[in-house]
Amino acid sequence: MTDVLNTKRAKQAALGPYGRVGKSLDELDDRLGIAKGGRTFLDKIFPDHWSFMLGEIALYSFVVLMVTGVFLTLYYIPSQAIVTYHGGYLPLDGQKVTQAFSSSVDLSFAVRGGLLMRQMHHWACDIFVGAIVVHMARVFFTGAFRKPRELNWTIGGTLLILAIVNGFLGYSLPDDLVSGTGIRIAYSIILSIPVVGSYLGFLVFGGNFPGTAIIPRFFILHVLIVPLIIIGLVTAHMALLLRQKHTQFPGEGRTENNVVGSPMFPVFMAKTTGFLFVISGITALLGAFAQVNPIWQFGPYDASRISYAVQPDWYMGFLDGALRIWPSWSFHSFGFTIPWEVFIPAVLLPGLIFNIVFAWPAIERRFTKDDAMHNLLDRPSDRPKRTAAGVAMLALLGMLFIASSTDVMANFFHVSLNTVLWTMRVLCITAPFVAYPITYKICKELQAVKGGGKRKTPNVVTRTAEGEYVATPAPVYVDDLHHGHEPTEVPKFFPADTEEPGDSGVRVVER
Amino acid sequence: MNSTLLKRLSALAVVAFVAMGPLALFVGSAQAAYKATPYQTSRKNAGTPNSDVVKTDANGVVIQYGNSAITYSSPSPSLAKLGQALYLQNCASCHGNEANGIPANGTSGAFPNLVGLGPATIDFWIESGRMPAANPRSIQALRRYPRLSHDQALAVTAWVNSLSPSYPGIPSPNLAIANVSDGAALFALNCAACHTIEGDGDALASGTYAPSLRHVPAFQVAEAIRTGPGNMPRFTGNLSDYQVNDIVKFVTTQIQHPTNIGGFGLGGLGPVAEGFVGLALGVGLLALIGFWVGERH
Repeated sequence: MTDVLNTKRAKQAALGPYGRVGKSLDELDDRLGIAKGGRTFLDKIFPDHWSFMLGEIALYSFVVLMVTGVFLTLYYIPSQAIVTYHGGYLPLDGQKVTQAFSSSVDLSFAVRGGLLMRQMHHWACDIFVGAIVVHMARVFFTGAFRKPRELNWTIGGTLLILAIVNGFLGYSLPDDLVSGTGIRIAYSIILSIPVVGSYLGFLVFGGNFPGTAIIPRFFILHVLIVPLIIIGLVTAHMALLLRQKHTQFPGEGRTENNVVGSPMFPVFMAKTTGFLFVISGITALLGAFAQVNPIWQFGPYDASRISYAVQPDWYMGFLDGALRIWPSWSFHSFGFTIPWEVFIPAVLLPGLIFNIVFAWPAIERRFTKDDAMHNLLDRPSDRPKRTAAGVAMLALLGMLFIASSTDVMANFFHVSLNTVLWTMRVLCITAPFVAYPITYKICKELQAVKGGGKRKTPNVVTRTAEGEYVATPAPVYVDDLHHGHEPTEVPKFFPADTEEPGDSGVRVVER
Repeated sequence: MNSTLLKRLSALAVVAFVAMGPLALFVGSAQAAYKATPYQTSRKNAGTPNSDVVKTDANGVVIQYGNSAITYSSPSPSLAKLGQALYLQNCASCHGNEANGIPANGTSGAFPNLVGLGPATIDFWIESGRMPAANPRSIQALRRYPRLSHDQALAVTAWVNSLSPSYPGIPSPNLAIANVSDGAALFALNCAACHTIEGDGDALASGTYAPSLRHVPAFQVAEAIRTGPGNMPRFTGNLSDYQVNDIVKFVTTQIQHPTNIGGFGLGGLGPVAEGFVGLALGVGLLALIGFWVGERH
């Protein structure tokens, strides 16, 4: 027997089967007990269906938002102090602008990579809110919001509101002509609230519009307060997801009590990391090649100036559209004015819509009297009423969204603005009532389709010796079969804890 | 104080007070006389409050006036004979043989009287291709490829102007001395409310619209500002020639050749186009990639 203790192989052997990494993890586990939680986490099963990736788009575009946003704060000055612009953009040279605007233009012209970061931030925001909406639609139409996940649905809805609010706040920060108009509209909306409106307006703006306080206030809200709440709620959203586990589509081998999919490590981790890079890559490509919000062309905001054809970013579109098409009703009496034409579309309507969203799980439970736990998803066509209601709501929101570009449509199609306005009024009211029965009928039809939702297998045509052609269906795809899904064997590195008898009066708790 | 001095002062005050009447009359008539020159701004000769060069022809008719920013000129009267022929061919069916307009369907002024509108107005409508109108009954004439050439437009202008010589003349802005930054600020204040800050124009009420400024030559921008075609206000007293020149410079440089350093300009349509790109190219493409990565059945 030769002494080989000093060889490399022997050293490796001494470290154990998992090498230096395993050894250091082992050390950590001895002190912090990470193995138990780590095993649960690394073995967490993610269903493979593509629609489960939609939420990740939102999550990772939020990561892009934070990274690019931190860069922007290094150069942006949240101040409404008036300075004379002398920068790289000649048509603004010598104009009196606010420091917020001046620093935003300098960020675009003078800071290396600044414009790319600004545009990436803006595109990531458009994608962020869009992905939340698409993710939410997936959750709604498949019934993933049902018991036990109502709380996570509520958190998700709140996140959507916060994303929209923070998007608006950030859009306002450059203090350019277009965003200033948006702040002006926000001020008017606050004023329209009966009784408290004027006090609330003064409270938010620190006085009358425009004042000099709103940009610094929006800045703190945009970069600190709202993002903190978003991060907190995203964490809660993910924690609930881990705790309650994923839903899954029904299929062979899938029950209410199991989750079929790929484990966190290594399959899902590779997939999701790749997806993070794809998302940041596409955001970077958009930021590099598609110009967004060219504030230098808009010029600085000034309460005496306005540009026509101003739309908000897309996620505020439904509000803007409702404001545009609402008839001019208002109440003037007893020395008071209540502008219903602002209050109803801009305060009551979004309030109503989001309340329906939040209350939907309870509404549905009341109608279906279904109090069971649901981990298996519905195919949208299996629940025609829910699907039709969802499509009706999306139709209403979609029409309101389109109504925010009445002027662009009138100009583009050379029709009268008044005609477009009245068309949109009619469409907004009728679209939900048209969408509901059509969707309902389509769902009913889909239910009748045999083998709906299953992948069709080809027919294998063979020619017999006699020259006869025989078509036989090919066997089901192997991927589609979920027979014999045995859980992967979890390697056991450590002996199971043995319970030690404690003295009387000393409680023994499991770690 | 000396009482005689007081008496003299009060006598002087009385004389001055009595003299005010004739003085006011004199100033009034002087202003009336002043109105006949191209310096004032009435409907008949919307024009140029700060001209320092005025040229007249042998008959005393003003043919050119202006300053270092914009020179306004009337086309040569020698073109008038050709102009009349062209007018009768292209314009008379609506505006009448004497260019004094025809009431259409019993409403007077449906086809406007052109006499005394000034060369800039006539020239603008013809050279922007709006006249002869493609559809005389449409609510707003379309800008299109001009039916008459530049020289023909000048000839018609010369004839119409010869009926009652008037102002403003056809402007030629001197962009070399213009300040594009002042132009940008003035554009945002005066023009963007209809033409949009990017100059694309947009729909106004009842089928009218503010046209796009993307392909308008400099002299036509100045003509439009000074004459106010269609629904557009006539900018006269509130904008000096220097300011008009600045706006023209801004429109012909930054509006027509915007600084799109951020990549493709997306048609200057603003958040409508941006939302479309963000949702279709951003969310849509990413969802497709998710579809590719994930399980699809």
